[in-house]
Amino acid sequence: MSRKTLTRRQFVATTAMSSAALITAPYVRRAYAAGKLSIGFWDHWVPGANKASTDLVNEWAAKEKVEVSIDYITSNNKKIELTAAAEAQANSGHDILQMPSWWPQAYADQLEPLNDVMEPLIKQNGEVNGTVKYLGQSGGKWLAVPATPGSQIKGPCTRIDLMKKYANIDVQEMYPAGSPPKADNWTMETFLKAAEACQKGGFPFGIGLGETTDSVDTAGAIFQSFGAELVNAKGDITVKTDAVRQALEYYKKLISFLPPDAPSWDDASNNKWLISGKGALIMNPPSAWAVAKRDAPQVAEQCWTHGFPSGPKGRFAPYLPYFWGVWSFGKNKEAAKSLLTHLSQPSSIEKFVAVSGGYDLPAYANMTKLKTWAEEGPPKGTLYHYPDPHKQQTLSIAASPAPPKIAQQIYFQATLTKLALRHAQGEKMETALAWAEGECEGFMRS
Amino acid sequence: MSMLAIDKGGPSRKVKYGSMSRDRTWALRWSYFFLVLFAAFSLIPPIYMLITSLKSSAEISAATNPWWVFHPTLSNYFELLTSNQFLRFFWNSAIVSIVVVIVTMLISIPAAFALARMKFWGSATLATGVFLTYLIPDSLLFIPLFKMLAVIQDFTGIALLNRWYVLLLIYPTLTVPFCTWIMIGYFASIPKELDEAAIIDGASWLQTLMRIFIPVALPGLIAATIFAFTVSWAQFLYPLVFTTSVDQFVLPVGITTTLIKGDVFNWGQIMTGALLGAAPPLIIYAFLMDYYIAGLTAGATKG
Amino acid sequence: MADAVVEQGRLARAASPRKRASLHNKLGRKSTVAFFLTLPLILLIAALVLYPALYSVHLATLNKSMQKFVGFGNFTFLFKRETFWMVVKQSCLFAITAVIFKALIGFIVAHFVHNIPAKGQRKWRGMLLVPWVIPPAMSTLAWLWLFDPSYSAFNYTLSFFGIGPIPWLGDASWARFSVILVNVWYGAPFFMIMYLAALKSVPDQLYEAAAIDGANWWQRIWFITLPMMRNIIAITTLFSLIVTFANFDIVRILTSGGPLDSTHLFATWAFQVGIQSSDIPLGACVSLFMVPILAVAAIFILRDVSKRGNES
Repeated sequence: MSRKTLTRRQFVATTAMSSAALITAPYVRRAYAAGKLSIGFWDHWVPGANKASTDLVNEWAAKEKVEVSIDYITSNNKKIELTAAAEAQANSGHDILQMPSWWPQAYADQLEPLNDVMEPLIKQNGEVNGTVKYLGQSGGKWLAVPATPGSQIKGPCTRIDLMKKYANIDVQEMYPAGSPPKADNWTMETFLKAAEACQKGGFPFGIGLGETTDSVDTAGAIFQSFGAELVNAKGDITVKTDAVRQALEYYKKLISFLPPDAPSWDDASNNKWLISGKGALIMNPPSAWAVAKRDAPQVAEQCWTHGFPSGPKGRFAPYLPYFWGVWSFGKNKEAAKSLLTHLSQPSSIEKFVAVSGGYDLPAYANMTKLKTWAEEGPPKGTLYHYPDPHKQQTLSIAASPAPPKIAQQIYFQATLTKLALRHAQGEKMETALAWAEGECEGFMRS
Repeated sequence: MSMLAIDKGGPSRKVKYGSMSRDRTWALRWSYFFLVLFAAFSLIPPIYMLITSLKSSAEISAATNPWWVFHPTLSNYFELLTSNQFLRFFWNSAIVSIVVVIVTMLISIPAAFALARMKFWGSATLATGVFLTYLIPDSLLFIPLFKMLAVIQDFTGIALLNRWYVLLLIYPTLTVPFCTWIMIGYFASIPKELDEAAIIDGASWLQTLMRIFIPVALPGLIAATIFAFTVSWAQFLYPLVFTTSVDQFVLPVGITTTLIKGDVFNWGQIMTGALLGAAPPLIIYAFLMDYYIAGLTAGATKG
Repeated sequence: MADAVVEQGRLARAASPRKRASLHNKLGRKSTVAFFLTLPLILLIAALVLYPALYSVHLATLNKSMQKFVGFGNFTFLFKRETFWMVVKQSCLFAITAVIFKALIGFIVAHFVHNIPAKGQRKWRGMLLVPWVIPPAMSTLAWLWLFDPSYSAFNYTLSFFGIGPIPWLGDASWARFSVILVNVWYGAPFFMIMYLAALKSVPDQLYEAAAIDGANWWQRIWFITLPMMRNIIAITTLFSLIVTFANFDIVRILTSGGPLDSTHLFATWAFQVGIQSSDIPLGACVSLFMVPILAVAAIFILRDVSKRGNES
């Protein structure tokens, strides 16, 4: 840092550091220039959480004497996906780019294999779940490293008081802080009854039916808990099956208890629904609760994050991992690998989790009982069950287990929510299924 | 100047037709009634922006009367105006718009001059063609342009995607055709004798343009400048497609993508950002309304 | 002022044919000069408008990974998509409805402004033009917040009348209504100002004569105002039709095409397909479908433009 010349970017960075409110300006650190590394990270939603990444990268850069620059890229309006698309098109860009769930598979050909990073990490931190493998691995090749920041489980975040009052369910008793859940009765049927009771009470569940991730993820988990797949693992279209029909019937009933404008909801709508005190339950990572803590503390005190209800085919929770990928056209791949190893050390992971207030979720089996989750509050222990510490759920992503390139389109075109919505709005079951079949045929395009 | 024309149709004539005056009063009352209605319709969104921008997040999330501010605060303004990120958007927008205005003028004034005054082979076709290119919308061009830029970048190694300066290249396609069109109209209305006399006196074409055309057509020039500025300031699709990093954003994209954080609740700031983003065109408009309107109606009044 | 200058020019021009001969030499070089003066314009349009337009035709014939030529494959694929036909229908519905309302409101408001005493006109005109001045991306955010599911100020107000809550953006018909409403809000002032300019150019004598003949206001509008304004109504409507047809910002920000794709327009769908789903050829294909309607409008405008050229 001593003999730097003040470039424009550095100037921006220096001023950025002085104003605590600003997190997203590019940060450049110059050491003795043993190579350069440019990084594109996801711009974190939890205020202040980018700082953990910046600090960890700088720590590493100082040790390795690498000059680094970080861009924080927002995922709003699919900006991070657009960045990845632009860089893949132009064959140039960041050395390391953080990508949402589906994109390592989409750019499999242009990503550097990272087996030499992943294999030691798994040995050290414990096994990763099936969804991480499904999304991050292709033909035995690790396409990307699961990133702690941004990865999330979108389980229910419930209003303790409203749920008790209208549905007669004590979520704290069902999911007690610090001990295994007693949730055998927490099934799709119970969930539906609770949704009805709360809707009658004037506090409907806030589950979106739009085209953004929150809506799609919830639909994905519900479909999977009925064993419903639009396209199976082999790539065959399996829309017209009883499992799908069953899931649709269920969704139709559920939709009648949801707010009337749920079809237009985006990822922020359910948060607003909870914070404004209008709803008894939403499906979201703890960011809604974190914001409520700041703006509507009386709501936050009544929030409890817990597990998903179980269906006939098991208990599935929507899981949305982020990845760090290294472009094969990148200039400094060795440094990139070394940094990714550093960011995946237990001490780094602990830091990510702490700074994000428990939002970030490591992919590794040994890392689900960190003290942040046990201690965050009020109410104390509200996040204990967020990372699924007792492994009672299958963490999965909507549209899996279809081949990733097809599943990705089912996911991004929100075929599941659209299908459910069509049926719920009066379209005949078979017509709606025929529509979905047509969509899936379209997704086979190469 | 346009005011003069408008004043002509003023109330003086009504005096003459006394028998109509009762009708007239009623017509006036109805006119005012509906104008108030329409003005309210026009002004609700900007006023609502202002109201929301003065509220704290806590007040907004409490869902009290949305049309009233109980605890006005300037904290949203303070936070945005001290955030380097927001200032960066503003700066990018300002630079892009100003440079684009200059480029537009440098291209369209000489071209309009040539098309209005120097009949040459193909000049009539070109003049019509210029206007027709305006009919090819940005929403048709953004995909091929995106791919073009990617190909050029891959080929030459010059970074074009995700750089704000690429907008300097692209925006003129939106401003130049219309500005050239306006300027052709204004230049054509200048009497030929003025420039012929200048040329006889030994002035070059360039001198004629600088000394005669530009000063005489100044109102049209101002209208075209305002037009070019507002179009560049408001453009949304191209920067949305071509820029992806936060430090490359211009205001409209910056506000819609970074202030609307998926999970974070900050509508006070979003409305503040939108209001601040709308401010430059609004200020220009407040001071130069007549030119603005002259620019808008340029093609129409002569047709 | 501009008109006055034209008049002068015409008068003066008649008197000066003799001088032109002496200019002949000087004017000889002018086509070279003219060429260089228009060169930047030609280059700009050729490289960044015409070339990309043709390039998109080329792109539209490639497969998704852009390695293979598939001819009309993408088009036939699109024709089989239900969503595509929905987009076609919606784009037309959106553009036509919005333009009709913009034209109607613009016409009515222009009349009211024209009706009131001249001193007050500037003030009203100023207020009514504000929606057109604010960048649409910004004002649409205000609408988005007005329509918000949890915090809608409209629903708050309507709840006092026992109405609602209305799912402004959540229900297909309401969402279509909302995007059209915002577009009308944004575009009507443009019509208003164009019509106002045209109204000013209708000679007062015509109305006075009509008044003496005992024509009522409707007859005056029908027999005097409308015929006098026919030209400007036509060109403004066509122009607005194109711009509305190609609209992107409003739908993108308000609904992103939802719910159930019921508000997608060509532009927003092309964006979703081409850029967001990385299917550039299909996206190019979708946006090319705007060409026919643009071409029709272009022909009409071209006729008008060349007529104008002949007159001057």
